[in-house]
Amino acid sequence: MSNVDKKKFSTPQIISAAIILAFYVLVFIAEQTLAPTSMIFTVLKKGATYALVAVSMNLLNGFTGIFSLGQAGFMLIGAYVYAIFTIPLTQRAAVYQYYNGGIVQFTLPVFVAMIMSGLVAAFFAYLIGLPVLRLKSDYLAVATLGFAEIIRAIFQWDKIGPLTNGSNMLRLFPTFNDFNIKNSNGEVVIYLSTLVPLLISGVCIALILLLINSTFGRALRAMKDDEISAEAMGIHLASHKQLAFCISSFFTGVGGAMLAMYQTTVQAKSFTTAMTYEILLIVVIGGIGSVTGSCLSSFLFVACSEWWLRFLDQKQVIGEFEVPLLRNGFRLVVFSIIIMIVVLFFRQGIMGTRELPDLFRKKRSAAKKGA
Amino acid sequence: MADKILRIEDLTMQFGGVVAVDHFSMVINQGEIVALIGPNGAGKTTAFNAVTGVYTPTSGSVYLVEKNITGMRPDQITSLGIARTFQNIRLFSSMTVFENVLTAHHLRRTSNVFTATLRLNAAEEARMRKDTEELLKRVDLYEFKDEMATSLPYGKQRLLEIVRALATKPKLLLLDEPAAGMNPQETEELGEFIKRIRKEFDLSIFIIEHHMNLVMGISDRIYVIEFGKQIAEGVPEEIQNNPAVIDAYLGGGEDL
Repeated sequence: MSNVDKKKFSTPQIISAAIILAFYVLVFIAEQTLAPTSMIFTVLKKGATYALVAVSMNLLNGFTGIFSLGQAGFMLIGAYVYAIFTIPLTQRAAVYQYYNGGIVQFTLPVFVAMIMSGLVAAFFAYLIGLPVLRLKSDYLAVATLGFAEIIRAIFQWDKIGPLTNGSNMLRLFPTFNDFNIKNSNGEVVIYLSTLVPLLISGVCIALILLLINSTFGRALRAMKDDEISAEAMGIHLASHKQLAFCISSFFTGVGGAMLAMYQTTVQAKSFTTAMTYEILLIVVIGGIGSVTGSCLSSFLFVACSEWWLRFLDQKQVIGEFEVPLLRNGFRLVVFSIIIMIVVLFFRQGIMGTRELPDLFRKKRSAAKKGA
Repeated sequence: MADKILRIEDLTMQFGGVVAVDHFSMVINQGEIVALIGPNGAGKTTAFNAVTGVYTPTSGSVYLVEKNITGMRPDQITSLGIARTFQNIRLFSSMTVFENVLTAHHLRRTSNVFTATLRLNAAEEARMRKDTEELLKRVDLYEFKDEMATSLPYGKQRLLEIVRALATKPKLLLLDEPAAGMNPQETEELGEFIKRIRKEFDLSIFIIEHHMNLVMGISDRIYVIEFGKQIAEGVPEEIQNNPAVIDAYLGGGEDL
């Protein structure tokens, strides 16, 4: 056994762990020193949220071979469950002003509510999975897409207003800023509003990684490679697909709760198909089948769309010269071109199927490509 | 008389108007190697698929020992003790040799998804890995364990597929044209290998094959079908001299 123990962590794995730890320490230090309004924190917070949802989607698309496009729907469920159960009692009358303060008259602790978000999303996934997972590839994608649209409509339905506040927005629930530690005067002593979301997302992604590398993860990958042969190896396809679908939706739901905290308000109409496509784009750019890739590309994607390319939307004057073409919306043109370039020249995404530790290994596994 | 491992009774498999297997019956006794031969399109692989649950038979039934397995799902049938290989190799292409065999152990797990994710099944996982390691060493594939399965030479891929099937701990092994695409040297080795695993793993083997040397060399009994119907059954010598068989293979003016 000692032989096994010794080999438990290889050098590349230790280096990777060190990099991740260093990242968290850096974020903590940056948060105490930089202005809390700095764009970098916006990017990190939204990036953490998107990273979790992207990794959950990758669990389906990249590791199980289920092409689902229901992400926005499950995020919506997660966001609503979180918001409904965490709005302070004193604020409910203000939020549910058209519904006499709503029907839910208790609050749950933030972390309990987040787990609830995941569980409710997973429950919906279970019900939807029963009929939908019998479909394959494109048909499954269309069915899940349809589900997300239906959920969006249902949550705005006036009749269930006492629960969901109809088409009005939910607000005044605890946000990322409530993670900051304040003294008795209400001044912030330690800033944690970026670190905590990154930690939540990190723990969830670590759990997904543990799943992928367990015997169940191997079964899922086997199904992706070859369903007929996986079935012949004794893997029950339907139950394993259902399992992957529910677990992915659980974490998507938690991601939805994080998005609610990031946005500070929740409204069903903002959970559009375009949101699912953003996540899909992140997964494809990062590399289908790479958790590291999904995380990296989430932060890059959010940074580009929220920060680095913002200057393209305004008139820029260099000396006497006014740069042509720059106007509101031009950012999206450049953004699309960048995406096309990535897709054309990095067919496998940034990371392919490699993970962080693979970058520190010798070239041996480079032959993995064509798979 | 030895125990009957597999009993097929009056099996018919119909696709629309095409009757691929027509009222076919056979038995495999414990420890036997039984071959199913016939011209192309005779319905051999269809019969395999009906036994392993890929197809649900139109009529007739299949028994494993005394248990009726007709219409069960492929994974249920595998867990009851029938493992198979495929005519066109179907290894898990994104996995290494080791992982391919390791995946076959998923079937006999006792952990659930929570215990497996949280690593509470460490002992079981260690046992799976140890079993895989031992199995690979026994069949001389251990040195390739970290190679991608699909990067192995063709003959080794065929071998690996058999090993992966063995890892599910079957009572009966179904081999669908295991020698397809192999040279005479490899075919001979394969024949020795099949005889060896029958002994070492206490198996019964049901094989579809076109290489007559291999079939005649290893089979205890042979069934011959043509157009889904059985035309002969017997030990290799009987089959070689059976006029109906010679007719099926040579009769239509087609050379084998």
